[in-house]
Amino acid sequence: MDIAETRALRADARRRWTLAMPAVTIITLFSILPLLVVVVYSFLTPGDYGNVKWIWSTEGWFQVLFQRDIFDDTVTLSDAHLTILGRSVTLSLITTLITLFLGVPTAWFIATRPARQRAFWLFLITIPFWTNLLVRTIAVQEMIRSEGLINRLLLWLGAIDAPIQMMYTNFAILVGMAYVFLPLMVLPVYAAIERFDFRLAEAGYDLYASRLYCLRKVVLPQVKAGIIAGSILVFVPSLGAYVTPRIMGGGKSMMLGNLIEMQFGQGRNWPLGAALSLALTALVLVALVWYTRLTTGERRHG
Amino acid sequence: MDKRAFNIRHLPGATALAITCFVILYIPMVILIVNSLNAGKSISVWEGISLRWYGTALQNEGFLNAATTSLILASTAALVATVTATMAALATTRTKSFRGEGTINLVLNQPLMVPEIVLAIALLIILAQVKQITGYNGLGWLIIAHSAFCIPFAYMPIRARLQGMDLTLETAAADLYASRFYTFRKVTLPLLAPAVLAGFMLAFVVSLDDVVMSEFLKSPGQDTLPTYLLGQLKRNLTSEIYAISSLLLLISVLIVAGSWALTRKKT
Amino acid sequence: MLEIRNLTKSFGAGATAVTALHEVAFSIAEGEFFTLLGPSGCGKTTLLRLIAGFEPPTGGALVLDGRDVAHLPPNKRPVNTVFQNYALFPHMTVAENVGFALGAQGRPRSEIAETVERMLALVQLDHLAHRKSAELSGGQQQRVALARALAPKPRILLLDEPLSALDMKLRKEMQVELKRLQQETGLTFIFVTHDQEEALTMSDRIAVMSGGRIQQIASPRDLYDHPSNSFVAGFIGESNFLDARCAGGKLFAQGAELEVDHADGPITLMVRPEHVVLGTAQGLTLRAKVETLVYFGTDTHVHLTLPDGARLVARVQNALRGGAPCAEGDTLTVSLPADALRLLPKDA
Repeated sequence: MDIAETRALRADARRRWTLAMPAVTIITLFSILPLLVVVVYSFLTPGDYGNVKWIWSTEGWFQVLFQRDIFDDTVTLSDAHLTILGRSVTLSLITTLITLFLGVPTAWFIATRPARQRAFWLFLITIPFWTNLLVRTIAVQEMIRSEGLINRLLLWLGAIDAPIQMMYTNFAILVGMAYVFLPLMVLPVYAAIERFDFRLAEAGYDLYASRLYCLRKVVLPQVKAGIIAGSILVFVPSLGAYVTPRIMGGGKSMMLGNLIEMQFGQGRNWPLGAALSLALTALVLVALVWYTRLTTGERRHG
Repeated sequence: MDKRAFNIRHLPGATALAITCFVILYIPMVILIVNSLNAGKSISVWEGISLRWYGTALQNEGFLNAATTSLILASTAALVATVTATMAALATTRTKSFRGEGTINLVLNQPLMVPEIVLAIALLIILAQVKQITGYNGLGWLIIAHSAFCIPFAYMPIRARLQGMDLTLETAAADLYASRFYTFRKVTLPLLAPAVLAGFMLAFVVSLDDVVMSEFLKSPGQDTLPTYLLGQLKRNLTSEIYAISSLLLLISVLIVAGSWALTRKKT
Repeated sequence: MLEIRNLTKSFGAGATAVTALHEVAFSIAEGEFFTLLGPSGCGKTTLLRLIAGFEPPTGGALVLDGRDVAHLPPNKRPVNTVFQNYALFPHMTVAENVGFALGAQGRPRSEIAETVERMLALVQLDHLAHRKSAELSGGQQQRVALARALAPKPRILLLDEPLSALDMKLRKEMQVELKRLQQETGLTFIFVTHDQEEALTMSDRIAVMSGGRIQQIASPRDLYDHPSNSFVAGFIGESNFLDARCAGGKLFAQGAELEVDHADGPITLMVRPEHVVLGTAQGLTLRAKVETLVYFGTDTHVHLTLPDGARLVARVQNALRGGAPCAEGDTLTVSLPADALRLLPKDA
C-alpha cells in the first residue's frame, strides 16, 4: 500500500469518528459515565437528608442481603430484601413463561397468514408494543381491580358473592407484566418464523416424519433463536420493572425496581439504592451473557 | 404412511391461542376508551356516552402544561437523537472495515443493555449535584437524558437502511463528477429520508412514553404527561384519567400508523 | 491518449497480500473500441476500477492526455463508467439520471435540458424521459446508464460487463447498438467482458488478460490467427494442442516431422479445428482413429485419437451431398497444413 493510499484511509477513519462523535459523546456522558458514578456512590455513606456523605463504607452493599439488628448487632439475612429479590426473579421467570405460552402461537399465527393479511396482523401487534406502558398498566388494572371488568362479570354471572381482591398481590403484578410485555415476545419469534423456509418442513414430511417430529427436528431449531431473543426481551425488563409493580402491587408487593426507588425517596439510603441497582444490572448482564452463549452455540452447530 | 394433504403451517391450537392473545391485548384498551366516555361522575356507574371528561382534561391546566412539556421534550429529544444517530450511522456503514465500528456500535446500543431504572437513578445522582451547582432546573436536563436513550432507537432503522443501500450508487455519483456533499444531498439523503423519518418517529414515541426517567429526573413543578398521569393515579381514579390515557393511546396509534405507512411505501 | 505504465495493484498486506495486477503496461489510442478480455479473476475489473479512479494503484502511472491521473479521485477525472448493475438512481427520473453529471458540474439548467434531450434521442429513449428509473426493463435501464455516462462527454467511456445481465437476443442487439454509438460519438470505449465472442465482434483491439497480466494485445483477427501463447489460443476460439519438439530445423510431433524455421526445444503445437484436413495435404501427416462424430448442423466435429493417445478435433463443413465425412471407428490419414500450425512456447 503506498503512502497516498494510507493517508486517504486515515483521513477517512478520522472523518467517520468525527461524524459519530456527537452521538457517542451524548451517550458516554449521559449513560455510561453515570453508571460509573453509581459504582462510586455504592461505596459511600448515606447523608442525613438523602444524598451522601463522602465517607467510604461498605454498608450499602452489605445491606443488599443482610441486616444488622439495632440492639445486639447480630447479622441476619434481610428477609424483606430477599423476598423482594426472590419475587423479582420468580415473577420475571413466570412472566416469561406466560408470554412464551401465548406469544409463540401468536407469532406462528401471524407468520403463517397469507402475505397480504400479514401486514394487518403485524400492525395489530405493533400498536400495543408502542403504546405507553403506563396507559396499558392502567388498562389492565381496570380489568382486575375490585370494581373492574372481571369482578363485575363474575358477580353478574353469580359465580362469586363478593369481589375478589386481585390487586396489590403478586398475581396482579404477574398479570400486569405479562400483559405489558407480551408484544415483546411476539415480534422476535415472528421474525424467526417468518425467515424459516417452510419447504424444509415439507421435505421432512416427505421423508415420513410425523407432524410432531417435523416440528421438533426441523422447525424448532431454526426458530429457537427467535424464542430465546423474545425471552430475553421479556425477562430483562421484567427484572427491572418499576411502573407496573408500583401500580399493580401498591406498596405491599414490591419488586427490585420499587425497592431501589424507595432508597432515593423515603428510604434516604442512596448507597443502598446504588448497590441494589448494580446488583440488578449484574443479574441482567448474567441473563444477556447466557443469551449470547445460547445463540452463538446455536450458530456453531447450525 | 398415507400422505394426506399436509400443511405444516397449520399448527393445531395456534390459531385459537393467537386469537385469544389478540383479544386479551385489546380488551383492556377498549374498556379504557369506553370508560373515558362515561357520562357519569362515578367511574363505577355507567351513565351514557359523553365527551365531558375529555373536555375537563383539556381545560385542566396541569394536564395542558404536562402535555406541552411532553411535546416539547419529545420533539427536541427526538430531533437531537435523530440527527446525531444519522451522523453516526453514516459513519459506521458503507465501508469494508472500519476499526472503530464495533466500539461505536456498542456505545450507541448501551442504553438498551441496562435496565431503565438503573440509568434513571444514575442520572438522578449526578443531576442532584449538578442542579445544585448550576442552579438550572429547566427542561434541558430531561431533554438531554431523553436524547441519550432515544439515540439507539433512531440509530437502528437508519443504520439498517444504510446497510441495505446499494453502494454502487455513491460510486456512480462520484464517477459522474459529484462532490462528496453533492452526492450526500442528491443521492444518499433522499434515499435515506424515509428511514430518518421512521427513526424520528420511533424516538418521539419512546420519549413520549417514558415514565421512569422523567419521574426520577424532573424538577419540582415539572411534569410530563406520563408523570402527570402517575401523579393523578396516586390520588384517585377518575374518569379524567381514562380520558387522558385514551388521548395518549390515540397519539401512539396515529404515530405507529404513520410510521407504518412510511415504511410500507418504500419501493 | 491513455498510457498505462507499469500499473500494479495489491490488496492486503504482508503474507496475505494478493496482487491483482502485475506491472501492466499498454496504450490506448483516441477513438478506439478497446476491450479487456479474460476469465473472472484475471484482473480486468480491477484495471477498469483503477482507470475510473475507484481505487488507487499500488504502483505505476496512468497518463491521460499527458497527465498522470492515478491519484485523482473519480470525480476529478474525465472518465465515466457504465456499471454492471447500471447503478441508476432509483429515486430520480430517467431525465434526472442522465443530467446528473451536468448538475454536479454546475451547468446552467437550459444546457442540461438540451444535452439530456440529445442523449435520450441518441439511445432512443426520449419517450421515457419522465419515468422513474426503477420502472424500466433491463435493456432500457442499460441505455439510460449509457446516456448518463455519455452526457458529460468524457474522454473515455468505461463499460464493466454491461451486457452480462441481458438475455441472448437483447445482448446481440445491444452489441450492435454499442458499436454504432461508439462510431457515432467517436469516443474512446474501454469494454470489459469475459465473453470472447462479444469481444471479437465489437472491438478494434483486445487485451487478453490472465492472472493479473496482459497475455496479448492485438486486433481480433490477429488474436485469432496468431495467438502468442496457449492461453490466448485456448481462450479465443477453439484449438487443438499437441506436444512437439524442434531440433535442427525440423519439427517432430506424433511420429511425423516437418521442416520449420524455429529455435530448438519443446513447444506446444496449436492448430484450429477448421484447418485440420481429413486426408492427405501439405504439412504434418498423421494417422488417427475416429472416436465420435458430433453433428452441428453447419458442420460436424470429428473427434480423433492419435497414435500416442492424444486427442484432436477436426471441424468439417457438412457437404450438400454425400453424408458424413467418415464413420466412427475409421482409421484415416489426417493432415495439419504447415501454414495453419502455430508454434507456441511450452507452458511451465
